[in-house]
Amino acid sequence: MKKLKFLLLLLPFLFNSCEKNEIEGPSLNNLFADLEILEPLNIIGDSADFASGQNIYFTASFSKQLDWKIKIEGQSSGSVKIISGKSNEINQSNSTWLGNSSSLPFFIKEDCKVLLSFEAHDDTISSQLNIQQEKDYQNENTVLITDLENNFNPNFTGFFQAGCTKALTVGGAGQKDKYLAQFGICDWDWLIGYVDYFSTFWYDDKNNMINDPSKLYFNIMIKGDSTISSVTNLPNSLFKLEFYEDENGDDYHDANSEDRFDYEFDVNWTGWRMVSICYNDLVPPATNPGNGIKQPDKIFKVRTLLLANPESGYAKADVDFLIWSNGAPILN
Amino acid sequence: MLFPVLAQSQVKSKLWYDGNSRVIFNRDALEGTLKDIDTVSTRSNGGGSTVLDLGFHFTPVDDIEIFSEIRLKNDFGGMWGNKSVVELRRLSAKGIVNNKIAFSIGDIYLKQTKFTLYNYEQELSQYEPSVFKFYRDYVNYENYYQSNYWRLQGVQTNFSYNMYNFIEQLDFDAFTARIRGLEWLGKPELLMLGGSAVVRLSNNINLGYHYVNTFEVLSSSNGSIAYYNPVLNTQLSYSGLLKNIPYKILLEGGLSKRGWEGDSLAPEIKGYFTNATLKAKSKKGEINLGFRYVDTDFRSIGAQTRRIEYNNTTTTYPYYSNNYYQRKVSLLDMISDPNIYNQNLSTSLMNYNPMYSSVSPYGDATPNRVGVTLEIDNLNLTNFLSAKIQSQYFSEVIGQGTIQKRNFNKSALHSSLSLDKLLSLNKTFILEGSINLETVNRSGSDFEKINFSSVLYSGSISFELIKNLKLIAGAKVFYTDGNEFITERDNYDQIIDYSNINYLNKETIFIAGLQHQFTDDIYFTMQYNQFNVLDKTNVYDEFSLSRIIFMFNMNL
Repeated sequence: MKKLKFLLLLLPFLFNSCEKNEIEGPSLNNLFADLEILEPLNIIGDSADFASGQNIYFTASFSKQLDWKIKIEGQSSGSVKIISGKSNEINQSNSTWLGNSSSLPFFIKEDCKVLLSFEAHDDTISSQLNIQQEKDYQNENTVLITDLENNFNPNFTGFFQAGCTKALTVGGAGQKDKYLAQFGICDWDWLIGYVDYFSTFWYDDKNNMINDPSKLYFNIMIKGDSTISSVTNLPNSLFKLEFYEDENGDDYHDANSEDRFDYEFDVNWTGWRMVSICYNDLVPPATNPGNGIKQPDKIFKVRTLLLANPESGYAKADVDFLIWSNGAPILN
Repeated sequence: MLFPVLAQSQVKSKLWYDGNSRVIFNRDALEGTLKDIDTVSTRSNGGGSTVLDLGFHFTPVDDIEIFSEIRLKNDFGGMWGNKSVVELRRLSAKGIVNNKIAFSIGDIYLKQTKFTLYNYEQELSQYEPSVFKFYRDYVNYENYYQSNYWRLQGVQTNFSYNMYNFIEQLDFDAFTARIRGLEWLGKPELLMLGGSAVVRLSNNINLGYHYVNTFEVLSSSNGSIAYYNPVLNTQLSYSGLLKNIPYKILLEGGLSKRGWEGDSLAPEIKGYFTNATLKAKSKKGEINLGFRYVDTDFRSIGAQTRRIEYNNTTTTYPYYSNNYYQRKVSLLDMISDPNIYNQNLSTSLMNYNPMYSSVSPYGDATPNRVGVTLEIDNLNLTNFLSAKIQSQYFSEVIGQGTIQKRNFNKSALHSSLSLDKLLSLNKTFILEGSINLETVNRSGSDFEKINFSSVLYSGSISFELIKNLKLIAGAKVFYTDGNEFITERDNYDQIIDYSNINYLNKETIFIAGLQHQFTDDIYFTMQYNQFNVLDKTNVYDEFSLSRIIFMFNMNL
């Protein structure tokens, strides 16, 4: 009986737990403590040749976990790359840079300013790096339609209204030197002009494109001027992309029996911007006579259309570097 | 309502009555600088009512009693039925089956252990001088607070077996309650199931198992998420005699689980607790020593629901000053405003204000505490001077946001001096005084340091002018000083942020008046009260109020 009583006395303590080591809730140090830079910003791999696959990464460490941002700005191109994260350490895993841009134009062979800044802290650290060779965006996962560097392919036909302009322009391009300027006023029609980029004449073989519409992205650089319509008070320039499929393989798109998918948006920005669209996000027109299945391997042509309200005046949307990318948008 | 009447026509029955009555009238007026600078609020306001809670006890047969309580209320200012209310306040039935199994159904009062189902007292009410009791009675009665029971709706039963062998007696108790009913396109019904089994191994040893499970019934809504919170508590108590001093040892432990089934974002947390107490009683007083460990993740809806709901709007001057600030719940509302109190169990940890309760905001079931307690009760120093003392020292089990842990101290002292006995007067003359002190400290770097203290001084005097008519006066002065971090929690009670708040406050309450005691439970009082709430950090304007109050209270 005494032994039993002893055992019963111990019973409640069976529920006792071990002391826990971790803290409860977010760290006060991260939220309230002053920031100390424990290890200054270092640039590993300066003067990288991005074209040959080299990269650059950064190292630094801080006294607390916080939101940090590295801004790399090309001194000549004006291109910007933002790398950001939330940690108490910047290292290869969270800061590797392959030479791509966050905002256009692309980086070129140039010197760049580097600025490390922090959320809710005034501290900043500046540095500098050099790009020996810029990144080459063409690889086995991309299919270039045109970058206009070898002039405008005359097989890419199109139509522009009288008085409206489509002109190959040198200097100030989104990528390298040349781009296609498109602008004008048309007070009798929504269409300023369009260009058909037939797949037969693309720079790269379209067979390199992945045939999964959910993983295939169409990328195009567009330069806008943010003109607002005095009539509608909306952005003046509209841009439309039309993707025509040749479902029966007869090298012809039959509008009465084959698919077309569209994507339309306002050009409400100034300067160059990369527009990337997943093929799966395209929508068919109201009446679509085709099978309705998105089949990237059957693309016959891509048509780019510059549109504007006839009552609203001047419209502009220059284009450059039309390229397909497999798996992710080109700037990812 | 018709059920008793129908039954009366068929069987010989008894019907008897009881009830409670209250007449209250108060007139509040702004005081101090606020009276001059606040051009938005009214200079004064007031109100009152007559309330009669009439209880009908109907016993159709000897083993059944049906009870209903009807409230008749007439607000002052109404006439001919205007502002008059008749409402059902309570309806229940209880009985005994075959003289063995007792049951209650309807509105029932439930309590289990301090870690499973327990309605802890509101903050700063411990050791309160008796002249403030009329306010406390009023607040508790209006909120159905009967000692530490929760008023719930459901069914409860209990029965015992006497065995006369190794196990002398088995006591069983079980209940189910509906915490939250059906909501149109809302949350599922919330039910609580509970049971206790107490095994008396001998006259000295009791072994108790207590279990409460609170859960949402998924099928009662269109949603796909259901809350659950089972809590188990095992208790072992031993009573003995050491050198003619009776003592009792209680050892208990338990565990809880809390989660949301069907919600992939919701964590399922499991927590534990252990509690040990030693009570001994001598002629000089009673001593109670304790050790308590409550895990950070211990969750018990029945024991951690708080009485004061700080988000509620105060009745007296809910908004004030020319900026029309919402007035925060303060000590004056805690002692006198029933509307800031909560009557429903909460599925998540309710907010609390560290100013008023930082050591044990959820009573003994406060998570993340480990420490010791000491309590000396009924300490009769002389025949005219008695005292009560309590002291608690706790630490956090794990730190909040830091490896540094808070250290807590909560101490209270109450003494009562019977001047009539000291001075051999034939009329009662009693002085009471009490101190409630809380401190919180955390060391470490500047950004994580805590140095907070609050102290409440209370005193009262009660002098019998003529038989049963007393002149009463009382005061409370409350100070806070220092800083404390308030946590912000998400829907799953997980801490997501902190605010480091600085406190420098002073609140005062003075009351004085007459009180006539017909019996202990029937009395009237007429008083002048003065309240002042001063925030010296200047975040809020000073609030001053005077009040004339009349209350007649009758509990039968």
